[in-house]
Amino acid sequence: MDYDEHGLGQLIEQSDDIQADAMRAGRASLDEVVERGRERRAHGEIDNEEVEEFSTRRAAALRHGLAGAGAAVGLGAAILALSQTSAFAAAPGDVQILQTAAAIENLAVATYGVALTLPFIGGAAANPVVKTFVTKTRQQHVEHAAAFNASIRALGGKPQTKPDPVLLQVVDKAKPTLTSAAKVVDLAITLENGAAETYVKDAAVLEDLNAKDLTASIMGVEAQHVAILLAVRALLAGGLGADITLPPPIAKLPAAAGSVGFPNAFYSTTAARPATEGAVR
Amino acid sequence: MTDTENANTDRAARRGTVLSGVADMAVTESELRSATSDVADAHRDTFPQMRASIAQWEELEGESTRRALSRRGFLATAGAMIAGGVALAALPAAAATRSGGTIAAARAGLPAMGSDVPLDVVVAGLAASLENLAVATYGAALKAAGAHKLGPVPPAIANFATVAMAQHKDHAAAWNSVLVRARYKPITAANPVYASVVDKDFAHVTDVAGVAELALTLEGVAAATYLEAIKALSTPAAVAIAASIQPVEMQHVAVLNFVLGRYPVPLAFGSLSGAAPVSAANGLDFAKS
Repeated sequence: MDYDEHGLGQLIEQSDDIQADAMRAGRASLDEVVERGRERRAHGEIDNEEVEEFSTRRAAALRHGLAGAGAAVGLGAAILALSQTSAFAAAPGDVQILQTAAAIENLAVATYGVALTLPFIGGAAANPVVKTFVTKTRQQHVEHAAAFNASIRALGGKPQTKPDPVLLQVVDKAKPTLTSAAKVVDLAITLENGAAETYVKDAAVLEDLNAKDLTASIMGVEAQHVAILLAVRALLAGGLGADITLPPPIAKLPAAAGSVGFPNAFYSTTAARPATEGAVR
Repeated sequence: MTDTENANTDRAARRGTVLSGVADMAVTESELRSATSDVADAHRDTFPQMRASIAQWEELEGESTRRALSRRGFLATAGAMIAGGVALAALPAAAATRSGGTIAAARAGLPAMGSDVPLDVVVAGLAASLENLAVATYGAALKAAGAHKLGPVPPAIANFATVAMAQHKDHAAAWNSVLVRARYKPITAANPVYASVVDKDFAHVTDVAGVAELALTLEGVAAATYLEAIKALSTPAAVAIAASIQPVEMQHVAVLNFVLGRYPVPLAFGSLSGAAPVSAANGLDFAKS
């Protein structure tokens, strides 16, 4: 296999440097969220009746108004009106959405962890680029979960430490069938795409600007995971596993390999998870 | 089942077909082409969804949108870099770090197009102009490749450029539909601020790697701009459109990183660095239709 381990190590090192910078900036952003939450709590108690009313109306809006990428006519005005009722009113609905996001991340972390115990993903038989990708992607999901939970805490909610219960069933069902790298990649695509589509949908409905910003900053990264996994899956299916190298042997790859990672011009939301699926009960 | 549910089910089913088709495909070029055709089908499938979103675009002349102008700023941080005429390659884009989301007063960035143009309209126009620039740049690259000015061009790279260009064309059309619905004329030209820089950079490109580097920077600018826009836009339907495009630009970035031999997903969080400032909308013609 044409694999420049030293070169890849350098790239990962550079990547980690960039990542460390990004985390510092991310923490600064989260600090803003925390401060905002403190300010909210400092101004008084949450009006439970108002919160309940907001949650009900928002749940209805989510059910009926936001299929796919688009918001229903009037939803914008409705959300705007709701946002003007109270600075507090946005938090509970956002917390549920963020808890679901954290639950999805927790499951991704656990699933990639299991994958790394498999010899063809994390062992000696693994493609080194795939192993590196799984290892680093798992770590990125750890950071996503931590960021979502920090945002939840800042809004006065309870952090979600458990996995998404519905997706967990999908993973549990798939575990016995994970007998090859291709099957692991299939499962990873399901999880990553579900995460990306959920966050695309969330970005349009989250009220708290920092929560919206955080979610939006993660959705594209999940979509990138999907792109690479789609390309890896296509190469594995085509018997070109040996060509999964960094850099790739671009001149010998089939033409379709150039675009298999981004099949849609607009990211779909049909596989988005329900907003409250992973909420803390 | 409603029409929307039927459409979603149909899309999901077809999408599943596409993905399983990719998984099951053999290595032959013809089968890969077939898979690409399926991908194109899936690509077209997203259009009804997008059209629905555009159709739900609120009346942008409404009071709520006007309020957005004073409520939020947009993209002031990168403005100085553009104003300084720095070469595009020098602009920090997708590989740079997240800026922390510093946003300054919006009106400060809107001197030229007039205060009566809602911020969401300005953002839609800016987005359309950046998409037009991407289309033009990929088009120029493909033309140069066809004229053998870039040396050997691997089929996968040509395919990447072709599909990415088509997707940017779709993005531009989406934003222009938004403008038309808001009773403004579509923005059909490439962003003049960025185009001048890209043209200079493109003049120095002599091979595929150079094109990929330029494309990576452009895609990074687009991804960062949409990330900033999601926070700045006030109309939910506009946010939804930006949110549906940003991940696709990020996917382009990942593939280009990989092609260039770099780790494809270096950051756990999307970067705002390199986002186009709202002042880059200066020079665009926001004329009423």
